[in-house]
Amino acid sequence: MRQAASALVRRDLQLLWTRRGDALQPALFALLTVVLFALGLGGEADALAPVASAVLWLAVLLAGLLALDSLFRGDAEDGSLEQWMLAPVPLWWLVLVRTLMHWLTTALPVIVAVPVLGELLHLPHAQLPVLMGSLLLGTPILSLLGAVVAALTVGMRRAGVLVALLALPLYVPVLVFGAGAVAAASQGLDPVGALLLLGAGLSISLVFAPLAAAAALRIAHN
Amino acid sequence: MNLPPTNRPAPNGLIRWFHQLGSPPYFDRFAARWAPWAHLLALLTMGIGLYGALFQVPADYQQGDSFRILYIHVPAAWMSMAIFALMGVYAAIALVWRIKLCEILAMACAPTGAAFTLVTLATGSIWGKPMWGTWWDWDPRLTTELILLFLYLGVMGLYAAIDDRRDAARAAGFLAIVGVALLPVIRWSVVWWNSLHQGQTIRLFGESSMDPSMVWPLLWMIVGTKLWFAGSLLNRARADNLRRETGKDWVAKLAGATP
Amino acid sequence: MNYREYVVAAYAVFAIVLLWDYVVPKLQARAALRAARLRATRAATRKAPPELQR
Repeated sequence: MRQAASALVRRDLQLLWTRRGDALQPALFALLTVVLFALGLGGEADALAPVASAVLWLAVLLAGLLALDSLFRGDAEDGSLEQWMLAPVPLWWLVLVRTLMHWLTTALPVIVAVPVLGELLHLPHAQLPVLMGSLLLGTPILSLLGAVVAALTVGMRRAGVLVALLALPLYVPVLVFGAGAVAAASQGLDPVGALLLLGAGLSISLVFAPLAAAAALRIAHN
Repeated sequence: MNLPPTNRPAPNGLIRWFHQLGSPPYFDRFAARWAPWAHLLALLTMGIGLYGALFQVPADYQQGDSFRILYIHVPAAWMSMAIFALMGVYAAIALVWRIKLCEILAMACAPTGAAFTLVTLATGSIWGKPMWGTWWDWDPRLTTELILLFLYLGVMGLYAAIDDRRDAARAAGFLAIVGVALLPVIRWSVVWWNSLHQGQTIRLFGESSMDPSMVWPLLWMIVGTKLWFAGSLLNRARADNLRRETGKDWVAKLAGATP
Repeated sequence: MNYREYVVAAYAVFAIVLLWDYVVPKLQARAALRAARLRATRAATRKAPPELQR
């Protein structure tokens, strides 16, 4: 199993290197979102600072949603998915490795950019640690849950809004606890509870989401 | 392949009836026969309930007449949840045992479930205006209902987006099961979120304690909405069944053409 | 405060949604039967002998 994983990881990194520009697209989208929010809200620090953490969470979430399309599409198009399903290695393992690689290459760059984006929104510096923590715990959950949705829609050419519609209910608890952790901290409450819930959610997702996504792949790809 | 005949007792009535229902023409006859009765009984019971809700029950001492909306809002909310759970059950059976009829029934649940969810949201909003002064409030009940509506629409959208009907039903059924599993988590997270942002006051819809003299129309409505759902389920399942079987002789005969 | 408009609105929404819920599957079934009938008549005319005999 480790061989299959390292082969997949190596291939993903190679593909990533040949399409370096693509990896920065989610970060770019997050930046665009932040700019639009700032322009829409009027640009004043008083208006931006209270909502900065929520806007950043949304920017990361939406960027991840867009990037979801690339999770399985490449493999579906070149026939690798069928190879996956016939492989001696469990499908859920391949899904897990692929999803984590996808997170590393699409979500992590955005998270790295968050402190800079936070400056654009006048994010109070005291909120930054909790925000980063909630993002680091929450975005893998989004990727894992998103993998289930991506697996269900893998055959479709114009899945677009349908993916967002399917993912939204699944994303709500993550957004609530993620952005809520920062909101709690800003109100003086203890964010640890929410962060622990995110951590628990991550553990559960790590176990169940690959299995669900593998089942969904078999159902949708048939 | 010639297997020797096995000795097994004939299946008893109920199991045989289930098997018969799985045959598309038999189900068509069954649904066509019983759906109208379900709708008729539903209209009668809902009529009694709504008559009581509008004319028999006295006005609430706090909310005046607006609380009469409760007699639609609460049954609709319960149906929206119950249908979602039933949809999950049908979908699970369909996925595990690959029973085509359960696929059809699962998919037929979704539009009516979405309809009840829409009623819940609309009546909740209309009730909220005189009560709280706003058309919308992000309280846990309405917020969860809104997300539930998205789940229903997602199932319906996924079913419509895949060409092969059986694959589509399996994918959408899988989504329904995931939704049922996650709905408690979603609801709990929304309650937590609400307590965080709106303080500890949890708004009630005034149904926490009702005088017994006001309860009986609610019971009629609960029964009536279930009967209505049964009728709609049969109608929608029948339509889907006909569409899937469209090339077959029995459908052509039913349509009046000679095959 | 006069709540009547709100109550009427709520009950009207209920009635309209239920009406939609009743009508749509009926129309779908009718359309499916019509499509099956057309399909069957097309197949029947195709089986009929061509008129090129002289």
